[in-house]
Amino acid sequence: MNVMIAAASGGFTAMVRDTAETFGWNPWLFLSQVISFVIVALLLRRFAYKPILAVLEERRRQIEKAQFNAEKIKRQLAEAEQRYAEILTRANAEAQKMIDEARESSAHLAERKQQEAIAAAEQIIAKAREASAIEHERTMESLKRELGRLVVDTTAKVTGKVLTAEDQQRLQEETARQLAS
Amino acid sequence: MQHCTFPRLSLSIFALCCGCIFAASTIVAEPAVPGPEKSEMLPLRPAELVHIGKFTITNSMLVTWAVAAGIIIFAQLAMRNIKPVPSGAQNFWEWLVQSLYEFLENIIGRDLVKKTFWFFATIFIFILFVNWFGLIPGVGTIGWGHYDPATGAFHVDRPLLRGGNADLNMTTAMAAIFFMLWFVWAIQAQGVGGFLLHLFGPKGETSGIVKILMIIIFFMVGWLEVVSILFRPIALSFRLFGNIYAGESIIEALSNMVPLLSWLIPIPFYFLEVLVGFVQALVFMLLTAIFTLLIAEHGPEKAH
Repeated sequence: MNVMIAAASGGFTAMVRDTAETFGWNPWLFLSQVISFVIVALLLRRFAYKPILAVLEERRRQIEKAQFNAEKIKRQLAEAEQRYAEILTRANAEAQKMIDEARESSAHLAERKQQEAIAAAEQIIAKAREASAIEHERTMESLKRELGRLVVDTTAKVTGKVLTAEDQQRLQEETARQLAS
Repeated sequence: MQHCTFPRLSLSIFALCCGCIFAASTIVAEPAVPGPEKSEMLPLRPAELVHIGKFTITNSMLVTWAVAAGIIIFAQLAMRNIKPVPSGAQNFWEWLVQSLYEFLENIIGRDLVKKTFWFFATIFIFILFVNWFGLIPGVGTIGWGHYDPATGAFHVDRPLLRGGNADLNMTTAMAAIFFMLWFVWAIQAQGVGGFLLHLFGPKGETSGIVKILMIIIFFMVGWLEVVSILFRPIALSFRLFGNIYAGESIIEALSNMVPLLSWLIPIPFYFLEVLVGFVQALVFMLLTAIFTLLIAEHGPEKAH
């Protein structure tokens, strides 16, 4: 209250001076402290904080670099794994394709060989049949001839007469016709 | 003419300090009783040891130099043989500085901390160790004095050392330097126009007559902001000085209470003062950092 009255009555400057005196505040002491603190702060900045901040900054940079490298390696590893998987998939696909092709090719080959075998077998059978038919034909011819001769001989013996060439011819043809029917 | 400009200017600054004190405290409401100070009481004024022209080296200044020298020597010794895996002093110093750096980075951001860390680190570490240095036995009790013929005891009239922050000149010097740096950082961050706009410019999106009204209101509010900014260094300096001076006064008073137990009674208060020293250093640093952040940060419209 006293202060406010003093301030209102115009003694503000005197009151301020008294207060400054009470607290031991002095413009020149203040300026001395300002200079002192500026020097102290600059010395601390230069000799106390600068070396440690440089070390911390360097360490932070190294950590960031290491993290970046780790990320890069991780990315490269992932890419390599992806490439490996792709190569493996492609190789699997190619192998499967080759197996399928081989399987298909072997099936075709087997089919072809089977067809060839069947054809060969049929050919052999046909040839055998043909040979058999020829043989049969030949046997039949021989049989006809033999039967004809037997009929001629038998007829000659039974009848007791000598058969002429025309009779023999006729008997043989008749026998052949009888056999054929 | 220039000779008398500085005292007038400084007196004007101090007038603001007094205004703050008168508004917020009852300490000054009781006028100081002129006359010699009692030897048992811690004097408010630091002892002047050496005069160099008009400049003076005081006992509180000696403490600040001793602490600064101690910090520099410790830092240099700690960083002498830098190891990739730190240990011992290097480990402690790295822990202290890095923790402080990260703490400030979280508050004021990466860009601002790069520019201002040296000052805030000085503020915190320096104030902390100056506060704790003042608790070392011998500070305030070793110096020049006289024998009291009545008691036969020796009374120190002019101590060699005094707690640095128990000197108002020291705390106002730190606050004034912060104020100057704050202004420089504000201009660097905002520019002169941006700085003035930050103080007086209208906030929010308005139009028409409301906008005109808001411009007038915010212009007037800006002057209140200016007054608030002018009082910040005063509040900072008196807060620190008041806490540290009060603590030292309590310890000194308790030491003189019972002469036979003068070594025992103040011990609990030493622990309290260790805590107060830490808290005050933290408060001073946090407030200065936040004041800087408030003026240097860009608004959302600028951030885009």
